[in-house]
Amino acid sequence: MADHDHDHDHDRTVKPMVDEVTDFEVLEIALRELCIEKGIFTAEEHRRFTEFAEQIGPTPAARLVARSWLDPEFRALAIAEPMTASKEVGVDWLEPTGFGTPSDFTAFEILVDTPTVHHVIVCALCSCYPRPILGNSPEWYRTPNYRRRLVRYPRQVLSEFGLYLGEDIEIRVQDSNQKHRFMVMPMRPENTDGWTEDQLTEIVTRDCLIGVALPRAGVTTNVVVATRPAVHPVGE
Amino acid sequence: MSTAADRAAQLDLVARLRSSYPELPDAPPPDLLDHDRFTAYMKPVHDVGGEPDVPMKYENKEYEYWEHMTYVMCEVLAWRGIWLSEERRRIGNVDVGRAVYLGFPYYGRWLLAVARVLLEKHHIGLTELAERMAEVQRRFAGGLSGRTLTAKPAFEGDGTQVKRNSHVVHALGKGDPQVYAGRAGEPKFAVGDPVRVRELPVLFYTRTPEYARGATGRIAALAYESPAPEDETWDRPGAEPEWFYVVSFTMAELWHGYNGTATDTLRTEIPERWLEPVD
Repeated sequence: MADHDHDHDHDRTVKPMVDEVTDFEVLEIALRELCIEKGIFTAEEHRRFTEFAEQIGPTPAARLVARSWLDPEFRALAIAEPMTASKEVGVDWLEPTGFGTPSDFTAFEILVDTPTVHHVIVCALCSCYPRPILGNSPEWYRTPNYRRRLVRYPRQVLSEFGLYLGEDIEIRVQDSNQKHRFMVMPMRPENTDGWTEDQLTEIVTRDCLIGVALPRAGVTTNVVVATRPAVHPVGE
Repeated sequence: MSTAADRAAQLDLVARLRSSYPELPDAPPPDLLDHDRFTAYMKPVHDVGGEPDVPMKYENKEYEYWEHMTYVMCEVLAWRGIWLSEERRRIGNVDVGRAVYLGFPYYGRWLLAVARVLLEKHHIGLTELAERMAEVQRRFAGGLSGRTLTAKPAFEGDGTQVKRNSHVVHALGKGDPQVYAGRAGEPKFAVGDPVRVRELPVLFYTRTPEYARGATGRIAALAYESPAPEDETWDRPGAEPEWFYVVSFTMAELWHGYNGTATDTLRTEIPERWLEPVD
């Protein structure tokens, strides 16, 4: 079993060790060992998927948007054949199993914002999210709170992310409750004339791709950046 | 047929359900359990959309190693044909009941689903799981003390006799839902058609959200062909694919007392069996 190597940079923080071994850790180890001993899967298969899961993140999606802003042909491709466009930014939705990541399916659609329509995604049933091109979802996206409220009070929830949209803009909530996975293509912001694809990619944050933020020149971080450390036992 | 106000009232009712309604005795006699409360108890607990809640602070938390390993194990089990991800969703997000659903961490439920599916499909026994957990607890007694949390399987088993599903064979090189393309026949609805979401009785599982049931919307797109979740979640042999539609709802009609604008909309995907035409 390969050890978890953490000299590389994640967009999330992985905590490899805690002081007290928790019930969840015990159960995970026990189940993994039994699966390998019974030949349900091999240690090599587990290692391969782990490596795959550690290299996914929102950068390809940001690049896809930036390229679409610069190249009308690519933009048309991204709308018509989003999985073909994904390949051009390095994401093959059939990887790593040959039929996709099982929980995410291979049905992808890009929701294109216009001056009068703003999209925002949620999965009110669990946390369906375009992992292959956005990486794992943020913790808040999975909370019952976000899932309960976004489908009913989208303007209030967006305001809690600092996003206030006028009455001339239709908010279109996409509840991705089945097999389709969605991401938002926001509009190119002002004050970015002459920018390169790399420069534009930097301002397309994960939150912009979910639809809880809009890209702005000079802003390269997500709205929610506070990270609560995991401490076991609680209160130490 | 329900109104938007009826649907909001039902969501308010569900929100007050903890392990049981305090106004009723435990295990009430049947004459005390009305239809709305029966529906609330039977509601698949993952379906939280629209349930009342107040703002909270959204924050990140450190992603623990076991959470990452649990995600990977679930995906590898699906990759190797032990379950469909739709089975995982039901077992981990619904079959756990309301108390564990709201009381457990997100990946804690994924992990319980692994134990549950391996037991139910006879891949492991509960006694050997308990013994292995006790052994792991002994191994790490006193904490990690600088050691790495590592799985140490005693050997690599021969997996040739392990029962696996056929999905992983059929979907290979095609993807899912593409593996079902061309099998659902003519779609019943076209883009632009007004449709009403049926109010079918719900037991155990559905992915048609409660907040949309009884509401009227419009077909925004034909999505794909696939078995409906009600069949796929049990990997039911012979389940026939059907058309799925993206249905658009006007928020002001969907929600009683919606306080956004008249043009705000919501879209969600609904399988054909759940839709009926509006005259």
